[in-house]
Amino acid sequence: IAAMMASSYNAKEEDGHHSSGSSHGGAGAVKSKKPDNTAFKQQRLPAWQPILTAGTVLPAFFVIGLIFIPIGIGLYVTSNNIKEFEIDYTGAEVSSPCFNCAKNFSWNSTTSCNCSVPFTLEQPFESNVFMYYGLSNFYQNHRRYVKSRDDSQLNGDRSSLKNPSKECEPYRTSDGLPIAPCGAIANSLFNDTLELYYIHSNGSSTAIPLVKKGIAWWTDKHVKFRNPGGSNNNLTAAFQGTTKPVNWRKPVYELDPSDSDNNGFINEDFIVWMRTAALPTFRKLYRIIQKKPNMTPTLPSGKYLLEVTYNYPVHSFDGRKRMILSTISWMGGKNPFLGIAYITVGSVCFFLGVVLLIIHHKYDNRNNSADIPN
Amino acid sequence: FVRCMLHSCYSSLILFFIPWAAMYDTVRDDGKDIADYQSFALLAQTCLLMAVNVQLCLDTHYWTAVNQFFVWGSLSAYFAITFTMYSNGMFLIFTSVFPFIGTARNSLNQPNVWLTILLTSILCVLPVVAFRFVLMQLRPTINDKVRYKMRKEAVPAPTPRRHPRKVSTRRSGYAFSHAQGYGELVTSGRFLLKRPTKSRSTLFSQVDSPLAK
Repeated sequence: IAAMMASSYNAKEEDGHHSSGSSHGGAGAVKSKKPDNTAFKQQRLPAWQPILTAGTVLPAFFVIGLIFIPIGIGLYVTSNNIKEFEIDYTGAEVSSPCFNCAKNFSWNSTTSCNCSVPFTLEQPFESNVFMYYGLSNFYQNHRRYVKSRDDSQLNGDRSSLKNPSKECEPYRTSDGLPIAPCGAIANSLFNDTLELYYIHSNGSSTAIPLVKKGIAWWTDKHVKFRNPGGSNNNLTAAFQGTTKPVNWRKPVYELDPSDSDNNGFINEDFIVWMRTAALPTFRKLYRIIQKKPNMTPTLPSGKYLLEVTYNYPVHSFDGRKRMILSTISWMGGKNPFLGIAYITVGSVCFFLGVVLLIIHHKYDNRNNSADIPN
Repeated sequence: FVRCMLHSCYSSLILFFIPWAAMYDTVRDDGKDIADYQSFALLAQTCLLMAVNVQLCLDTHYWTAVNQFFVWGSLSAYFAITFTMYSNGMFLIFTSVFPFIGTARNSLNQPNVWLTILLTSILCVLPVVAFRFVLMQLRPTINDKVRYKMRKEAVPAPTPRRHPRKVSTRRSGYAFSHAQGYGELVTSGRFLLKRPTKSRSTLFSQVDSPLAK
């Protein structure tokens, strides 16, 4: 009998059938179809079963509430400490300085229109300051627009350079020559130039140095976008046989002739623009203002002047253009939403925990006396 | 049906609007772009996956090693595949098919993004948990009552060594080998009570199946 009992936990058994009193002699002859008596196949695996009891759910609610509220407060405080300044320079109103430029825009004008927008910073900005241009009502997430690009051409592929993909239609060829870079995204490149001047109290103005490199993602600049012809510095020859996009004033190899690392397809402004935005109101990094080595603030408070070379028409689709100056923290730009959301969810959780506790107290006594029906 | 509809409407709204609001006019912690099309898509996708996995964990009543493997496995497979799809290599080989290069690397290293994912998944799951708990308190089903009783009775743990001497009582090893404590129930003669469901015990240890020998 002991042998029979011990055999029930052998790893593999041919015959799961238990016959009392019989020996194993005849058992091995017939191969049974029953599954093996292993823990896995007989579904006897060690297991754990989560049950929603009061002991688990209520503490969980309270713990979540208690964790979320400090996180939310931290996020909200961080967001409030970020300094941001925004100025709209579209020129839609008559009183705006750029009104004339906006009204008199024409596509084939050779002289560019300039306008100056004065503003005042109440508080000094410390550490690195990031200058963005923002557009509103500009749907960079329209499907046909997003597809209208040729990534192999932008990666420097020679065959795609001369023969862009069909997705770029109707911005694929112009005057019989292939367009480089092709597509609607490239064609609508933002080409306003923004400059900042600080106005001292005695009336003189100094230009603020703006850094134009280091604004695009590293992977974009070094892997995704490559110039055709490799590291050959003569870009004019590399782009031989192609023409500039329809709405551009200069061809792509003249985007930054002074710096060969920022010319052609790897021009950082171009790369930043090609990374299509998800929402119709977006901002893109334009320049970086480096922090000063001593303890002086990067942008002291006072009067400033924004010089705009107004090249980009937004009036036809009721778009707005703006310039944003912002400092940065570990959570990114100024966005109080996440902080508020965490605080809200944390407090709702806590409140719900209290409510459930009350419900549990009231009805638990009722359950104790309840009997399972037979 | 209405409850299902409400739940799915609520989840869809959460899964879109929380990432939308979190990405509105936001940038990375080094000033560069994060509110672009590809990063937003990746964020929404990851939120969805986390929410679904957490919901799945809740609904799984019986956690074995197999379950653990599949749940954690599917999460890690998702991240592995995402990073592979967005890697340099895939882009350089199949340029037009994998244009999302660099997105996973550049957006998933932002604490902002991970906090959004955490918020979204918890927000999706909390109402379900609360609703089920309330239902269990106010209108416990027979399952719940039995489980509750089992927990109460499991406190005085029955001895694991059972030697049922009754040769003639042949019980299905499958049905009763799950439960600890059923040995008592069976041999005490109350086995004639028809349990409507196969209640599983909370604690499982290597129990001798009360098989007749």
